[in-house]
Amino acid sequence: MEIYVQLLVNSLQIGAVYVLFSLGLTLIFGVMRIVNFAHGEFFSLAALVIAVSLPWFVGFGAPLGLAFVVACVAALAVVLLLGKAMYEFGFRRFQRDMTGSFVLSIGLALLLQGVFIEVFTPASRRLPTLIEGNLHVLGAGITWQRLVLCAVAIVVAIGLYWTIASTRLGTALRAVAEDHEAAMLQGMPYRRIAMVGFLIGTLLAGAAGALLAPVTVVTPVIGSAYLIKGFIAVVVGGLGSIPGAIVGSLLIALIESVGGYYFDPSIATIAMFVIVMVVLLIRPTGIMGHA
Amino acid sequence: MRDGRVTALAAGAALVVASAFVRSDFVAMLFVWVAVNVLLTASFRFVTLIGELNFAIAGFVGLGAYAAGCATTMLDAPFVVSLAAGAAAAGLVSLAFGWVTLRSKGPYFLLISFAFTEVLRLVYTQTSAIGGNSGLVGIFPPAWLTGYYPATVLALVLAGLWVLHRLENSDFGRILVAIRNNDLIVQSVGLDVHRTKVLCLAVSSAFAGLGGALLAHANNVISPGDFGFLLAVFTLAYLKVGGEGHFAGSIVGATLLTLLAQYALGFGAFEHVFYGGAIVLVVLLMPEGIVGRWAAWRARRAGAAHARGPEA
Repeated sequence: MEIYVQLLVNSLQIGAVYVLFSLGLTLIFGVMRIVNFAHGEFFSLAALVIAVSLPWFVGFGAPLGLAFVVACVAALAVVLLLGKAMYEFGFRRFQRDMTGSFVLSIGLALLLQGVFIEVFTPASRRLPTLIEGNLHVLGAGITWQRLVLCAVAIVVAIGLYWTIASTRLGTALRAVAEDHEAAMLQGMPYRRIAMVGFLIGTLLAGAAGALLAPVTVVTPVIGSAYLIKGFIAVVVGGLGSIPGAIVGSLLIALIESVGGYYFDPSIATIAMFVIVMVVLLIRPTGIMGHA
Repeated sequence: MRDGRVTALAAGAALVVASAFVRSDFVAMLFVWVAVNVLLTASFRFVTLIGELNFAIAGFVGLGAYAAGCATTMLDAPFVVSLAAGAAAAGLVSLAFGWVTLRSKGPYFLLISFAFTEVLRLVYTQTSAIGGNSGLVGIFPPAWLTGYYPATVLALVLAGLWVLHRLENSDFGRILVAIRNNDLIVQSVGLDVHRTKVLCLAVSSAFAGLGGALLAHANNVISPGDFGFLLAVFTLAYLKVGGEGHFAGSIVGATLLTLLAQYALGFGAFEHVFYGGAIVLVVLLMPEGIVGRWAAWRARRAGAAHARGPEA
């Protein structure tokens, strides 16, 4: 019994980060029809900025918690700048051009990875523990640190869901995703909405990176591992579908924690792939996707 | 067009003969790498005829390399049989893979093909019979080919290019392009779109497998890391730089980038920056690629000459 609770807890804490990551992917796909291969680089950059700047802020005498919050803000600002630059100089010209934008994003991903390795060196960085202590529920253990980070991730995800579901901006994003030409005929500024959607997606990847940085080893290529799982999650759930991204991410996290416990991580990744194949065989556009 | 083909054939034959006289090991390897990369890029391009980006190509190159490597090292199979095994393994697996995945298209297909490559890589690392993480060693070309291996590779690659070119300009090739333009119309005239797509992928993958088999025998050692998705991304870079609209694009792009990469090798994370930068620059500044730009320039010049009328 305890082991099942523990596995469930593990899945949820992995899943929370995947959800943020794949929500960004699916949102960008929804509004711009862009499969952004460079999405993992936002994630890497946020984690790297925090790993580098946190010790620096602490060196100035800031308490650990405050230093982390400041580092997070700095990381998100840097990621937002990168996203804005990528949009302005690249993706703006490739909206709705799925192949062109994908090729561009893959070039950007490679280029940025090379630049990160040069700038940050290939070294692995580990952050100091922010919150000490463990929590035990029903025989399952989780560190307070992971619990808090997980809670923040869930709050962000709910915030996004609420934004999409019930604000003016969310309605605009959904309208554009549904049929951008009809939206433009109604006088909606498509390009502005697309840019806002892209930047929100960017920030979500940055937030995922920032939340994961304290509980993992940060390297310049950390984003790649998340990218493939994020893609599997959105393909299973259906590209462009918000609930699909959440369901897909949780499914992937469940497979990862159960498969990783009983077998090993590689077997878990192979299992994910088999499940994607099965889903595509039954529904070629994912569980909740429509053509 | 006729004399273009004759020129290409003559140039190819000259290269094959020239490579037989190469005595420097490095230059010989360069011949092999360029030739294999050209074949891989042409195979990758063949699937773009139906409008799909096939990132599983790296997986199929790996399958070809491992199948040929196993045949040569474990079964002592003759060289020709090893090559055939490589091409057949990749082709057959791609039939099954394509049958399932080609029902979806566009972003779904390319993401799945990307995942397939990564999963195959994981499978190799998990299989100790084929060397696991450290790979398979001792894959040598047969003794009777000593000194002539680059020439053999070049000749096989030229034959492969010829087949792909013929297929592209046959009725089959026209159906492929029609599927890219509008698959519903192709379906409506009674052609089996799905089966055609699967066949297209299988042809491309068989050549990718052949490329892998040739590469394995050239490098003598293969490991799972050689066949990650980076290989597919490099292939994409070759095609984009050369220009995907023309058959010659894969030849020009793969040759140019492979040679440039050798020339500039050894700047740390350079490989990422080099290929990434090449893709970004070409997509932003020259989306039609080198050959596309060249063809447009020639067409413009011809148009200008035509407008001027015959010279008096």
